[in-house]
Amino acid sequence: MLRNYFKIAFRTLLRNRVFSMINILGLGLGIAAFVFILEYVSLEKSVNQFHTHVDRMYRIMNVAPNGTSWGEVEPGWATLAQDRFPEIETYCRFADGIASGVVQKPDGGVSFKEEAIGYADGNFFEFFSFPLLKGDPTTLRQPNIVFLSESAATKYFPAASPLGQTLLLHNQFGKTTYTVGGVFEDMTEQSDIRYDMVCSLETLKNPTNTNGNDWVRLDNLDNQYINAFLLIKEKADHQALEAKLNALRQERSEENDGVVFRLQPATNIHLAASFDEPLQTTGNVRYVYMLAGIALLIVLIAWFNYINLSTANALKRANEVGVRKAIGATSSNLIAQFLGESLLTNALGFGLALILVSTLQPFFNDLIGKEVSLSILGSTSVWAYGVALLGVGSLLSGLYTAWILSRFKAIETLKGKTGSSRRGVWLRKGLVVGQFAISTCLILATIVIYSQLRHLQNGDLGINTEQLLVVSGPQIGKDSTFATRSNAFAYALEQQSFVQEYATSNSVPSRFYNFRTSGFTQPGSRPKDELKSYAFAIIGDRYLNTYGLSLKAGRNFTPEETAVDWNDNSKVLLNERAVAEFGFSSPEVAVRTKIKWDERYLDVIGVVADYHHTNLKNAVDPIIFYPQKSTVYYSIRLTTGQMSEKVASLEKLYKASFPGNPFDYFFMDESYQKAYYEEQQYGKLFTTAALLAIFIACLGLFGLATFTVEARTKEIGVRKVLGASVGSVVVLLSKDFLKLVVGAIIISLPVAAYFLHQWLQDFPYRIHMEWWIFAIAAFLAIFIASFTVGYQAVKAGLMNPVDSLRSE
Amino acid sequence: MIQLQTIAKHYPAGFGKVYVLRNITLDVKEGEFVSIMGPSGSGKSTLLHILGLLEEPSEGEYLFLDEPVQKLSEKKRTDLHRHHIGFVFQAYHLIDELTVYENIETPLLYKGVSSSERKSRVAELLDRFNMVAKKDLFPSQLSGGQQQLVGVARAIVHNPKVIFADEPTGNLHSEQADEIMELFQKLNKEDKVTIIQVTHSEKNAGYGHRTIRLKDGWMA
Repeated sequence: MLRNYFKIAFRTLLRNRVFSMINILGLGLGIAAFVFILEYVSLEKSVNQFHTHVDRMYRIMNVAPNGTSWGEVEPGWATLAQDRFPEIETYCRFADGIASGVVQKPDGGVSFKEEAIGYADGNFFEFFSFPLLKGDPTTLRQPNIVFLSESAATKYFPAASPLGQTLLLHNQFGKTTYTVGGVFEDMTEQSDIRYDMVCSLETLKNPTNTNGNDWVRLDNLDNQYINAFLLIKEKADHQALEAKLNALRQERSEENDGVVFRLQPATNIHLAASFDEPLQTTGNVRYVYMLAGIALLIVLIAWFNYINLSTANALKRANEVGVRKAIGATSSNLIAQFLGESLLTNALGFGLALILVSTLQPFFNDLIGKEVSLSILGSTSVWAYGVALLGVGSLLSGLYTAWILSRFKAIETLKGKTGSSRRGVWLRKGLVVGQFAISTCLILATIVIYSQLRHLQNGDLGINTEQLLVVSGPQIGKDSTFATRSNAFAYALEQQSFVQEYATSNSVPSRFYNFRTSGFTQPGSRPKDELKSYAFAIIGDRYLNTYGLSLKAGRNFTPEETAVDWNDNSKVLLNERAVAEFGFSSPEVAVRTKIKWDERYLDVIGVVADYHHTNLKNAVDPIIFYPQKSTVYYSIRLTTGQMSEKVASLEKLYKASFPGNPFDYFFMDESYQKAYYEEQQYGKLFTTAALLAIFIACLGLFGLATFTVEARTKEIGVRKVLGASVGSVVVLLSKDFLKLVVGAIIISLPVAAYFLHQWLQDFPYRIHMEWWIFAIAAFLAIFIASFTVGYQAVKAGLMNPVDSLRSE
Repeated sequence: MIQLQTIAKHYPAGFGKVYVLRNITLDVKEGEFVSIMGPSGSGKSTLLHILGLLEEPSEGEYLFLDEPVQKLSEKKRTDLHRHHIGFVFQAYHLIDELTVYENIETPLLYKGVSSSERKSRVAELLDRFNMVAKKDLFPSQLSGGQQQLVGVARAIVHNPKVIFADEPTGNLHSEQADEIMELFQKLNKEDKVTIIQVTHSEKNAGYGHRTIRLKDGWMA
């Protein structure tokens, strides 16, 4: 019996080649998209979950009264807490940003700028489950030990064994020698901690290794720079522990800024447990669920195609149903048979999907900017939900069509009644509306996302980024001759005919500020104004000029003012936003006033016009510019043309003044564009999703149009004999479909507009959704649909009526 | 074997109803070969459908194998179709996607007959109807007469007690028609199958034992 079902299923598929192709192609594409996104969701869900005790690990978070949260805490708390609270089994701390610098082989050899480098407690490789390839994890408890990733080890020691070799780290803590104590497997995207080098935090306990940076002391409770993870004992209550930690903070902290501790489960660090979980995460749970939603919608469109085409095909099958019933088939026999057909179609679609997945994997990885493959599905249980969903979907779509087909009464079909073709017609119309509603939503989303992206990319930053090259300053060789050499480099820059302008600074636009801090007041300040936070940018005297920034009042720093020691300086610049934040009525008023920073008084000597220091996704921050002679960044504006030659000459100058240092540079405009990476990904993703959705929906529409034309062949023949023009036939056949598409547009645009409006609210600098954006989306949907239906309609219109009439 | 007691069939039409059959009382004994004749619209097809349990009568009582069947559940009715009833249609109604062999085999599949038994039974019929060479062809590859031969084979493959034939030769030319009618006669005589056929042609009706004539839904 089963064999008979499959035999007939296969033959039916072969006989209705066009419809089988439409179904299988649609399902293949839909399922492939679904599987891809399943891979991505699996990756995101699996991040950080591989640590053996992950369910007992918690990260200490700081949460400000306004709800913002961050993972950098003062290093002293973890130690204190472990001494006091027995439910803490152990803890591990690590700090990343503070370690970055230049790493050099000791013999004056090669050097590289290293960003993925951190200081970690000695138990790092026992606390976390990063596999070690070489070395003993406990070695990290000693000072001046570094563990390297496999690729870092190969980079520095391609030939020799890395264990026991030494490396020099030049960073803000001066020059420190480290011995390689171990090699770990490269940390993958399944971890939020991704280091190339892990230095022992123990090293920083020795004051000779901190270059006078007193703030780094490991027992301090004032400076937030370290990540602290706790491993709590089994069955310990982390909420009670959180309360105890906050009590401890009350007792010991001198700050009264309302910031409290929260313990974040390590399992939720990448993806929050829910949408409204306020704690900061490294992943984006909304993005993950949105992707999953899109995947589902696309498969849904494919299943709708199956239902639509199969029920539209019902007329052809009605006779078979009647005969089978007359010779002894029950409804359940027939349901089983038609279900078999649907499962076969789905299985073929699934097969096609697997082929598509294996061939298109690189394109998808490029699309999401991550490395995933089918094997990632094994790392979480997400795949089981995916498979269940695919199963349920194919079963439901199959059952519905089977039920529709099996309901034909033997007597009606044997008598040749055709009224049954109306069966399921409303559902069919509904599904077409649904398909085009989804497609139109995705089209609108694509247009809005790209418009917003363009808006960000081409928006006015308030600074001039053209031809602007930024070179990272040297880390190696900060000895007695350093001042002379850096002056020489600056002088050399000035001499080059291809250098229009240059500036030195510790912070450059498109990158981070030096820090944010509070504690500022002015004579007219209101209470709590000292809690307002300001961004600090440390700049040289040529910064404003080089970036094309104008002054709204006052004057720029003089070269002499940048040479004053940090603690002796009393001059700052504000931007307009900071002027407003301080509550000054105008820039002129600000320039005449002294501001107070904790116990220090500072003269506001000028007010800088507002510009977007970070990027256009953020509002302009209040900035305080602080003068220093800096060598962290050299911003250099080049003359146009022959870029590579100019960069090569710059490298030569740089190497001459700062031997041993890597020449690390970037272009300012490109650096700004990087900030919009996420939006670019969104754009690419929605384009692909929209294309896929509309393509699959159009496949279905094409199939339905084919049916309609077939069913109305005789009518069209008669009409043509009576003198109908091609145009009128096309209109006749197209208008019913276009009505559905217009209905879909009317339903979908407001819904999509609502969500896109929400999305745009995240951008302070955003586009308005003008009427023409909707018009384009609607036009595209209608145009594509008419094109699809039009092909069949025109074919029918051009047909010779004699053929259709004779065939009857 | 078949007893109709004052059977009537009507359909709603406008505010009233239209009668297709009225006051039909009929008795068919096992082994009989009965022809139903009448002009178009006289209700002969409806009568055959009621006899074949494809339609329910509006009034009256129908005993099939001494059992009242006018209000049978679908399951029971399907059971009767599987075991006791065979149909032959004017338009053959073979399943396009199945071969000759498979078409004949299908009723046995629904009846739940074992594979080896199916094979021998289908082979026997193919042999008897001289269609062994055509067993792997699809219906569209056969002539009308050959298709109807397959239709008859399918109708008798599960050894039914009765065959209902609705103008079985209506789409055939006379030579093929005679062949089918002779086959019916043979089945009736040798296999003792009861046959009830609807026909337009006096000649075909003559193959049966007796003829029932209908006019405007009444038995004449």
